[in-house]
Amino acid sequence: MDKNEKKLSEYIDKLNAEKMPDEHECLPDSPELEELMDTVRKIRSLKEPALPDADYPKKLARVVSAQLSQKSAAGKRKWTWLAGAAAVAAVAVLVFVLNFVLYSGRTDIVYAMEQAYKEVKAYHGILSIVETNLNGEETLQAMREVWADSEGRYYVKELQGFQKGLITVNNGEKKWQVSPAEEQVYIFPSFPDPYKFTLELGNEIKDAKNAEQIKAVGEEMVAGRETSVFEVLPRGGESYKIWIDKETNLPLQKESAMMNAIQYRVTYTSIEFGDNIPGELLAYSLPQGFKEIDKNPELQVGSVEEAAETAGFTPQIPQNVPGGYTRNGMAVTGDMKTVKLSYISQDKKSRVIILQKKATDEFKPASTAVLGKVGGNTAEIQSPVQDSPGVLEGGMYSGMADIRSIRWQESGFEYAVIGDAPMNELISFIESITTGPVEIPPENEETPEKPQIEVPVDLKVEKNEQKSVDAGHSPWKLDPVYVAQVFVSLKISPEGIEGEYPVSYEDMEVVKNNGIEAVVEISGDNTPVRRVYLKRLIRQDSTGIWTVVGYDPV
Amino acid sequence: MLKEETLKKAQDGDLKSIEDICSLTWETVYRFVYYKVQNRQEAEDITQETYVKALSHLQKNDTQIEQFTGFLKTVALNILRDRWRKRKRRGTSVNIEAISPEETAAEDTAEISAQRELIRKALGSLSEEQRMVVELRILKGYSVTETAKIIDKKETTVRVLQYRALKNLASILKDNNLM
Repeated sequence: MDKNEKKLSEYIDKLNAEKMPDEHECLPDSPELEELMDTVRKIRSLKEPALPDADYPKKLARVVSAQLSQKSAAGKRKWTWLAGAAAVAAVAVLVFVLNFVLYSGRTDIVYAMEQAYKEVKAYHGILSIVETNLNGEETLQAMREVWADSEGRYYVKELQGFQKGLITVNNGEKKWQVSPAEEQVYIFPSFPDPYKFTLELGNEIKDAKNAEQIKAVGEEMVAGRETSVFEVLPRGGESYKIWIDKETNLPLQKESAMMNAIQYRVTYTSIEFGDNIPGELLAYSLPQGFKEIDKNPELQVGSVEEAAETAGFTPQIPQNVPGGYTRNGMAVTGDMKTVKLSYISQDKKSRVIILQKKATDEFKPASTAVLGKVGGNTAEIQSPVQDSPGVLEGGMYSGMADIRSIRWQESGFEYAVIGDAPMNELISFIESITTGPVEIPPENEETPEKPQIEVPVDLKVEKNEQKSVDAGHSPWKLDPVYVAQVFVSLKISPEGIEGEYPVSYEDMEVVKNNGIEAVVEISGDNTPVRRVYLKRLIRQDSTGIWTVVGYDPV
Repeated sequence: MLKEETLKKAQDGDLKSIEDICSLTWETVYRFVYYKVQNRQEAEDITQETYVKALSHLQKNDTQIEQFTGFLKTVALNILRDRWRKRKRRGTSVNIEAISPEETAAEDTAEISAQRELIRKALGSLSEEQRMVVELRILKGYSVTETAKIIDKKETTVRVLQYRALKNLASILKDNNLM
């Protein structure tokens, strides 16, 4: 069947189900299809609209009132408490803002924290989150009850604040969020999990360990406990402070830098340590009258045969599972066309997922990915995962600092190996399902390719650009294709780009990217440039900007 | 009628006043949004966003709003436009905005009635089979399988008929400046 006929039919089905079609968030591929979807809406306007439930006006007023009081209390706030699934994303952003991507270097205090945390099996605490403005005025934003254990399981309940009553749980097998205001329970995969409550001890220590610098700045009493105060400087962001309990050697408070005239302080007003999280808190049950919402349902299967029957192909199963890992799940997901194998390390600290499905589209790596080879086929390497094309779609893998992935197509199938394990372990997983060699470009290796025409670079300007991108401006500078597109467009229109770019993004292809150097090739006739050479001059990781260093004319 | 005092209190975040405003005005706003997006989920979301934006605007600017419902509709329209704009991908030049400021200004009941009449006429100009498929699938909300059973055709045929019908309709609506 014609692809557009199918898409149009699915669009109608979605509207008939009174759900928002994906095309309302992201344009369909063809203008013709867009026009036909518009026609569907016009025809549909002949009928009476589906009205919300009777209690909608009341619910509406409640939510509006809560959002208004939040807005007026905090002014323009960076930290927004959103409902349901959106809250997960918001917290992920916050964690990113507070935690950043950190680098190696350790001090005695980090070692002391690591040793202390090794002894922790589980803990239970009450967190307060306080916002401070430039005038020093403080507002209590939330109180939160947390239970967490060393295997990454947690139970978090919002006690006060906009999301009062909201409960988020990850029991290692399943993750869910109970929203009493909406009477809904959102279901998510247990891994990867973008939600990490701020001041989760394990993460906090990991971040401090990886920080560029950590220095003692004083001593203070916090929540009746004696603490040492440290300033932590992560790379790529503002420094923050942590208060370490002198007796337990564990973090008790964290304060972000003042950003946009707002600062956040997160404190354990109480914390106690124990052996485990109470079982009933980690047991899933749907409260009476609540609706379960699972946007990316997975069908757990018990055998390869069952997976094959559901997905329509027999998946590759690793013959020799890399040392220390065991399989802890097999499911069919992604419209029941993708087989997902989950593995967990012996210490339960690392997880790896293998995804596989029949290849349906041409393989197009993410524009920001490093390019390697698996069995002679181009492989997309993302560390961390920034984009979710192909088989990664819908998996919530992107946006987390410690999740990496390798994706490739081979013999009519598309595969991805994703995990928070080191790259060499992910490679071992690839080798367990493919016979061809795995080639990952070595880090810090410069390629011998040189441009015909070099473009002079002002390092001072680039340093400032990097700072600007670190502060959240011009994120396109992290995408080599975009940077090349702007460069070529300015070659065509030196006076500036008005309206659409004269060369389209789709005409540009990354032919080389080792994470430090990239080459983008431009097809089509409307370009004076055939190849653009780029480098990460300031910082050589996923947060580093790309700069054009040369080009080959047509 | 909405009292000025209620509006003032609502701007200060008073729940009772916000409830009063919502119960008086929500349906107009919701219907207006639904007319554009044609699904309940999105209409509910945008309606909610409209009230938050409208009342925060009033909080900040302390402006006198004579026609509060009209103001809400304008805010809703801005949200809709923002959403349409955001989904525009780079390099795509097709105009997917089904709404223009002029259209909104003229969007009274008479205008909508006239538009509906034109759409009905356009439907009438389709072949019998195509019209039936559009009516069953889009106006009555039947699935492809159910439609296929009702008109005694294969599911693929239903999809082809539906596609062709919509292409014909798009062309007629374009000729009548409805797109």
